[in-house]
Amino acid sequence: MRSVGRSRVAPYLFLLPFYLAFAVFWLVPIAASLMYSFTSWTGMGSFEFRGLENYVTLVRDPTFWRALRNTFSYVLIYNAIMLPLATVIALLLNAAVPRLGRAFRTVYFVPVTVSLVVVALVFDLLLNREFGPVNHLLAAIGIDSNPRWLTSSQYAPWTIIMMRVWRATGYYSAFVFAGLQGIPKDIIEAARVDGASELRLTWHVILPQLRPILLFVFVMSSIWSFQLFDEPWILFQGGPGNSTLTILQYLYQNTFLFGKVGYGAAMSYVLTLIIVAFSLLQFRVLDRR
Amino acid sequence: MTRSMQVLLRADGRDIRARLGHWLATAAIVFVLVFFVLVTLAPVYWMVSASFRPQSELFSLDFSLLPRSPTIKNYEDLFARTQFPRWLLNSIVVTLASTVLGVGMGSMAGFAFAKYEFRMKSFLFWLALASVSIPQIVTIIPIFTWFSRIGLTDTYFVLAVPPAVNVFAVFLLRQYIQGLSDDMLESARIDGASEWGVFSKIVLPLVRPGLGAAAIFLWVGSWSAYMWPLVMVQSNALFTLPLGLATLYSNPWDLNYGMLMAGSVLATIPITVAFLLMQEQFISGLTQGAVKG
Repeated sequence: MRSVGRSRVAPYLFLLPFYLAFAVFWLVPIAASLMYSFTSWTGMGSFEFRGLENYVTLVRDPTFWRALRNTFSYVLIYNAIMLPLATVIALLLNAAVPRLGRAFRTVYFVPVTVSLVVVALVFDLLLNREFGPVNHLLAAIGIDSNPRWLTSSQYAPWTIIMMRVWRATGYYSAFVFAGLQGIPKDIIEAARVDGASELRLTWHVILPQLRPILLFVFVMSSIWSFQLFDEPWILFQGGPGNSTLTILQYLYQNTFLFGKVGYGAAMSYVLTLIIVAFSLLQFRVLDRR
Repeated sequence: MTRSMQVLLRADGRDIRARLGHWLATAAIVFVLVFFVLVTLAPVYWMVSASFRPQSELFSLDFSLLPRSPTIKNYEDLFARTQFPRWLLNSIVVTLASTVLGVGMGSMAGFAFAKYEFRMKSFLFWLALASVSIPQIVTIIPIFTWFSRIGLTDTYFVLAVPPAVNVFAVFLLRQYIQGLSDDMLESARIDGASEWGVFSKIVLPLVRPGLGAAAIFLWVGSWSAYMWPLVMVQSNALFTLPLGLATLYSNPWDLNYGMLMAGSVLATIPITVAFLLMQEQFISGLTQGAVKG
């Protein structure tokens, strides 16, 4: 590049504000958390190093396993519903008249602009057992069981998944839609000339081409939902009977309510490991191509 | 009937059938898309309509789609009986500060990565990239313990500044700035512009769409943040909107859903409107990087 040598310090000066803040608010805290995770620190007083004690306690903590299991099933079920739905929406948008498609796309993007706190409050009202419109609707089509969306350990997890799916599907369909625009037109034309039906074309030509973007969406949405906290914390605080306890809620309770800072820090590193493993998955799968 | 007429008729029949098929397919597609629109908008509609209903109507077994006796009492109560105006002000101050700071730092760093070659460039870039997969909670724990020791919790500073460090903003702006031609920057330098002059007078005005996309990204994140203020702030006077609304909800003695929905509507409007104004830039900015891989 031509600007090389013109000013040796300029790039560093431009980077300085960001990297200074990045060091203070990311790098140092990341290191500090790692250190805390080897102590029995309560947030006050002196450090006492306990080696791997927190991690050993964690492995033996049944509530942590419960939170881990809940979080994993939320992430997987949510993705299993959201990904196909987002793909179908993107394919249909792609097939629709362009001007109409753009209007639909705008509408589908609205939920992601609603904050998670508001989503939780609105769904609390929507899913109210006696007065909520959802149960009214279910009764109208003949389902009279009045599901207790907000108070039973059987339904509460589905409430959480429902909120996530509602909020994220349109958002991620925009990514899949962008991926569709990136598929070379001649591949599709060639398949059409060979007489492939639209369904076969979609299944055998378009979907394989979408694989990288679908993987990207899967990884991104998993990274976010492994950190599930706002909605379940507001609506359930982990209950009923720990059925909605996620890793982050358990971590929050331990660190900020019970003062077990070291234990919470250890948990935050387990969560980090899980998320990093998921991110690496993306690179591994993409590299194989 | 001559042979050619037969051919003509058959072709015509096929054409009509094809057109009918095409029309049916389009109708089916639009039908499904409209169904998804209804599902998407139903909760939003319910939020808005509930905010105009009296409490008695929200808890009536008799379901009605439209408010029977519309009222703005919920909005009046929200401003008269709660700290909502204060939370709104806090949210605006914090979000504005965080967004300006984040876009400022992000555009400078993005410019350095896009238009300079320097030692440690790829190391610094990968360092930032790697932090994307580290959950925020890892940083929340130490930042909270330090800030509470030096008495900086319960301040605008802790609400606005640390979350302004946003790696996505850097990547997004780097991508936009990479699209500018080197020759243009070079000729500005020949005309005597300083490096800062090139950045502030040439680069920034040209990547305004990118700045807008990054600003919305930061705005949405800061405006809807819940866990960060939940940990960092104790006094009601410093609550942001999400924290304030969640606190109203958690008060079992005085749970007024109509008022909550009024607050939710007011908390939602600024982001939704900002998005609607800038959607094309925002979506393309967001998805560009993903598609390129």
